[in-house]
Amino acid sequence: MKRSIRIMTTMLPVLACAILVGTEGGYAQEAGVSAPVMSAPLSQEAVPAVAPAQPKIDTGDTTWLLVSTAMVLAMTAPGLALFYAGMVRSKNALGTIMQSFIILCLISLQWVLWGYSLAFGPDKGHLIGGLEWLGLSGVGLEPNADYAATVPHQAFMIFQMMFAVIAPALMTGAFAERMKFSSFLVFTLLWATFIYDPLAHWVWAVGGWIRNLGALDFAGGTVVHISSGAAALACAIVMKKRLGYGKEHMAPHNLPMTVLGASLLWFGWFGFNAGSAVASGALATSAFVVTNTAAATAALAWMMVEWIYRGTPTVLGAASGAVAGLVAITPASGFVGPMASIAIGLGAGILCYGAVLWKARLGYDDALDVVGIHGVGGIWGALATGLFASKAINAAGADGLFYGNPGLLGTQALAVLISVVFVFIGTGVLLKLVDGVMGLRVSEEQERMGLDLSQHEERAYS
Amino acid sequence: MVRDQEQECCRARRRSRTLAGMGLTVVVLMVGISTIFTGTVAAQEAAAPVLKIDTGDTAWVLMSTALVLAMILPGLALFYGGLVRSKNILGTIMQSIVVLCLVSLLWIIAGYSLAFGPDKGGLIGGLEWVGLSGVGSDPHPVYGPTIPHQVFMLFQLMFAAITPALITGAVAERMKFTALLIFAGLWSLLIYVPVAHWVWGGGWLGKMGALDFAGGAVVHISSGVSALVCAIVLGKRKGYGSDYMAPHNLPFTLLGTGLLWFGWFGFNAGSALGANGLAASTFLATHAAAATGAVVWMAVEWKHRGKPTVLGIASGAVAGLATVTPASGFIGPFSAIIIGGFAGILCYFAVVWKGRMGYDDSLDVVGIHGVGGVFGILATGLFASKAINAAGADGLFFGNAGLLGIQAVMVVAVALFSLIGTWLILKVVQLAVGLRVSPEDESTGLDLSQHNERAYS
Repeated sequence: MKRSIRIMTTMLPVLACAILVGTEGGYAQEAGVSAPVMSAPLSQEAVPAVAPAQPKIDTGDTTWLLVSTAMVLAMTAPGLALFYAGMVRSKNALGTIMQSFIILCLISLQWVLWGYSLAFGPDKGHLIGGLEWLGLSGVGLEPNADYAATVPHQAFMIFQMMFAVIAPALMTGAFAERMKFSSFLVFTLLWATFIYDPLAHWVWAVGGWIRNLGALDFAGGTVVHISSGAAALACAIVMKKRLGYGKEHMAPHNLPMTVLGASLLWFGWFGFNAGSAVASGALATSAFVVTNTAAATAALAWMMVEWIYRGTPTVLGAASGAVAGLVAITPASGFVGPMASIAIGLGAGILCYGAVLWKARLGYDDALDVVGIHGVGGIWGALATGLFASKAINAAGADGLFYGNPGLLGTQALAVLISVVFVFIGTGVLLKLVDGVMGLRVSEEQERMGLDLSQHEERAYS
Repeated sequence: MVRDQEQECCRARRRSRTLAGMGLTVVVLMVGISTIFTGTVAAQEAAAPVLKIDTGDTAWVLMSTALVLAMILPGLALFYGGLVRSKNILGTIMQSIVVLCLVSLLWIIAGYSLAFGPDKGGLIGGLEWVGLSGVGSDPHPVYGPTIPHQVFMLFQLMFAAITPALITGAVAERMKFTALLIFAGLWSLLIYVPVAHWVWGGGWLGKMGALDFAGGAVVHISSGVSALVCAIVLGKRKGYGSDYMAPHNLPFTLLGTGLLWFGWFGFNAGSALGANGLAASTFLATHAAAATGAVVWMAVEWKHRGKPTVLGIASGAVAGLATVTPASGFIGPFSAIIIGGFAGILCYFAVVWKGRMGYDDSLDVVGIHGVGGVFGILATGLFASKAINAAGADGLFFGNAGLLGIQAVMVVAVALFSLIGTWLILKVVQLAVGLRVSPEDESTGLDLSQHNERAYS
């Protein structure tokens, strides 16, 4: 306890320094930042004559992106928090909720201070963003045409923040019921900085090398789901099994809560995917339609396969299937039509169900099936984008294998492979590091007592 | 791991296997069709006339679509889930989930085309838009000239999904899962789709001038009347009237109510199909009626039974929302207050009288959606005003008695059609797989008997 407080206090000055560096460095850089970002209101009257392509804020697009941001927030808290909390034992409900909740707070700060700059700032060698946008200096209310030409740059920044938040929050399902809270905080901060931010840069930022390869990831199949899935696998392996795994009864303590969470995930996912069009119009609509269709199909597919395989259709199965479908459609959502989304959803329901079943044989304890759903679903989605993508849906995309371009499938596979290897190894290294410094797991007595009492001295129900 | 516990014993395995197999075949077939259609959609998009997409209008209808989804999941699922006994909560939630998923697919494949496709004799839409071919990103001149056609399709999809989900309240705690699955699919295509076409898709009721802004007849009367048929055909729950059957988790029900209220803004104000004055006025009428319905139900219950209950105020809010739905785009705020007030009184007594009628409409779908829907459609004939919506009509109180007659025709037509159609579908399903779970399964509860899961451990 005392030790963790000490670590927290040592982290504070680091944050303070980052703020200072952020603001100072930022002001010095202002002149160097691309014109549309920093053009002050004063100069605006003069500008149109000189530069006719001056980006203009569209109220409808901005409304949609702001609403989408709030919807993605609802995915993490309360959506994911309740989805996971319902699946753990009642003695760990608060500990599980706390992980999602505190990630929301922690990464919100990290993103504003340095995360956004590392991920989306001016490219350095195709590998990482520069420090020019530290503390959001240079990230103002004028649109940045590189990312979203009709909304304030800060709207794009905060929309992306919610993605950076949910990726590590997804991962918490893998080490549920056994990670020390202080180690979890340090690990999350490191993971966001050294894994998520570079990966987001590679895939989405102007100049990022995976983006330059031509790999497509509309709303985060690689950046969010494959990364959290691969990291979850590393976590489950390094952290080892829960006490009594395989012997004790570990059924979900409150399934209606899990369904509530899954429903809010579904709701928020419309913001996640359709919001990724960063505008309101045809592309957002098409992404919205395929998102809903894939979720519905995957839920039905999972339910049917489970019905055939085990004899009863379960509620947890339907909810997991819906989430699997949502994961799989994420990278494809802006590039495929509704009928392709049925195929993607069907594949997701079947593949992810199989992955969850096989987990038991592989012997690692991915407590809440992050690998099976986000890892496998994300990989299937990224590859399916290489199959079903069509320029008729999104001219800015590419054609997939079924539209006569087998090259895209190869590019997608390469992007998947690189991401999985990078994230898996990187996460393993970070975990070993944190383990060496402060230990990863709670003590055996604390684990038996549950995270609620041992880490937070609270009881969920009384 | 989570899924592995205590799930090995299984009954009804053989029959569900064959059924599941059938289901799977259907899904596989659909994917077969899928590849054919992806090409067609793209080809059709270019041909349609170009109307201008407005980003604000599109944003609002997209948001409204998400809001109506939240009404079903988690809104209605928890509203109903909290009202049943704890042994049936998962079974109840599952019904909403599976209805949403199933109708989502059916709507895209055929439902939308039959409901909103080119009119055939005022009775049904054509098959021109099957598999969404021709339903692309260009706006449709009637179905939202400033939003992509697919937004309208998706917004309507959520309406199609919530209607059969509402009915599940009448069959709660006793319907077999397989039977529900088949019933919901048939009901959606054979009852909802034609009614939606008659009223909204260019069919005979719409042409006659009947007004239903956001689904009083299409959603609430159709589900309310079908719920009555279901309650009668299925019979009472075991121990109804003698056993204790109190709601097991009222805070869940309240959470569901809150989400229904929240989502209803999308349901009603989204039906303006744009972010404009009409949406604002609809939003206001919706809220005013919900608040009045809640307060009036509470007051009547307080007077009649001696105590204001939390379940009462929640039911009153839903009654107000259901009732104002058809009128919401045609009336001002004061008419909405009057409509909400009557909703609170009428629906309260409908629920009280249910006890005397002897049928077991477990979660009061008839009393709230049926009675509320009928009153709302008739009230539209009284309170509608062209001053609020020039595209509507004046009602009786604004000097046009004719509208009330047209509204009455709509009530009778939709109610009769739902009544007979639902009865026929139920009989067919009864013959095919049986409607009710066995008495032992009913005692065990749906969670364990149908899904082999426990909600709480």
